[in-house]
Amino acid sequence: MGDEVAFVELDGVGMTFRGRTGAYQAVRDFNLELSEGEFFCLLGTSGCGKTTVMNMLAGFDAPTEGQIRLEGRPVRGPGADRGVVFQGHDSLYDWLTARDNIAFGLRLRGMGRAERRSIADRFLNMVGLAGQGGKHPSELSGGMKQRIQIARALANDPRMLLMDEPFGALDAMTRAVLQGELSRIWSENRKTVLFITHDIEEACALATRVGVMKRGPGGTLKAVVPLDLPYPRERTSDAFMASFRRVHELIHAEIHPQ
Amino acid sequence: MNDGMMNSRTATVAGYVLGFALLFAIWHLASQYLVRSVLFPSPIPVFIRGWALIEDQLLQEAVIASMRRILQGFLLGSAIGIPVGLAIGSFRPVRLLLEPWTEFFRFIPAVAMITVSVIWFGIGEESKIFLIAYTTIFVVVIATAAGVGAVGRDKIRAAQCLGANRFQVFALVALPATVPYILTGMRLAMSNAFVTIVAAELVASNDGLGKMLWDARLFMQVEDIFVALISLGLLGFATDRTFRLLIRAFAGRFNPTM
Ligand SMILES: Nc1ncnc2c1ncn2[C@@H]1O[C@H](COP(=O)(O)OP(=O)(O)OP(=O)(O)O)[C@@H](O)[C@H]1O
Ligand SMILES: [Mg+2]
Repeated sequence: MGDEVAFVELDGVGMTFRGRTGAYQAVRDFNLELSEGEFFCLLGTSGCGKTTVMNMLAGFDAPTEGQIRLEGRPVRGPGADRGVVFQGHDSLYDWLTARDNIAFGLRLRGMGRAERRSIADRFLNMVGLAGQGGKHPSELSGGMKQRIQIARALANDPRMLLMDEPFGALDAMTRAVLQGELSRIWSENRKTVLFITHDIEEACALATRVGVMKRGPGGTLKAVVPLDLPYPRERTSDAFMASFRRVHELIHAEIHPQ
Repeated sequence: MNDGMMNSRTATVAGYVLGFALLFAIWHLASQYLVRSVLFPSPIPVFIRGWALIEDQLLQEAVIASMRRILQGFLLGSAIGIPVGLAIGSFRPVRLLLEPWTEFFRFIPAVAMITVSVIWFGIGEESKIFLIAYTTIFVVVIATAAGVGAVGRDKIRAAQCLGANRFQVFALVALPATVPYILTGMRLAMSNAFVTIVAAELVASNDGLGKMLWDARLFMQVEDIFVALISLGLLGFATDRTFRLLIRAFAGRFNPTM
């Protein structure tokens, strides 16, 4: 294990923003290794630096300290190997239909129309939107848009998926439905996932491991809790409750520091 | 929903018809009871005169002469303004270099350029096309550049992590996202073009609606003046409606505010 290269490695990663108001160290000494196929939930209070970590892993921002490696190679900018599902749904292309949004990455690679269409329809089906492919984003509900985002990222067949509070803006019922669907999809394809949330129950329902962040400035990983529970998870089971309580205590200490 | 749309369309058309009828009714009453001067004719002799001008092909000639200039100058100005606006919006050095130009020239109105354009190009077609193109360019440049600047960051990032290169980000994301702004800019430019063409034809021209206005003033043909004014109003109205329909068809689907 020791000299084997981890799938994803964040090695002493830090980010200091420099602006007119001075320097702000958002993330400091962040260390994490992800193995292939795991579902890692990054949990933390608002403003602790979750999005900052994801942006660095996605390659949108370069860390000011440390290094991020994917299969041993340093990350230098965004790439098709890391699919991203964004916090809002402004990232969808309003001028394209749902189907063409999903097939966007395939089009970039020059794939033919018919093949694109059949792949897009398969992923529409996977996220429960069969027959809705002809609609434009403005004709879809918030939950449907997030499904399209997930399908768009998956259809491009990335090595891993980065998801920034993808269900944060949805009502509790829609959120539970989408969590179930995501869990099912992940069980089938076992892509590596980094999933950001501030919802403890969501993290416990989805993750193989939950990482809890310390609040900023200098946000960093405080503890990692492995969740060895079978899928689909019984949210009322004793084992689930016990995990929930453990994570809750860690978070609680961040919200109400002594 | 379809019913509602039909009803609102019927209501719009009915509104136009009634609105214009009311305008002409008030005009008629005002000329009969309020002003009672040969300098302010009722719409009835104006319509009779308009019909005579149509029968003699004179009105059509004037309208075609003016509209051809507007269209040629407008297309030329847009053909220059759109790429320049895209370049200003996309590349910082270009913006730093060219922004002073747009900020400078847009405060020199086209009507102020009439004298110099007549000196340069004579009173033929060239001077009018130059003026219309001039008035179009700066509006289109500013609207296009603003559109490029307003493309959502997540839209660009999403494309990058689906594997898009710089050119693909520009052609498949920035450009289509900017189309509604370009069309809005062109719509504004078109209304400026109407102002400019009349002024230019008033000062120096052998035909067109502006020339018709000028001649009518010389020979005190008050009805002709009103025929020209109504023609301008109707032409501008029809052109603007056409533009709005185009914007709806291309862009309105995903931008309901248009
Ligand atoms: N571009 C930036 N410039 C300056 N400061 C920034 C920038 N981006 C983020 N920050 C700061 O870094 C800290 C972490 O921000 P980040 O967006 O990563 O939080 P988050 O954990 O994702 O919060 P939330 O749950 O609310 O999304 C915040 O204090 C924020 O103000
Ligand atoms: Mg965030």
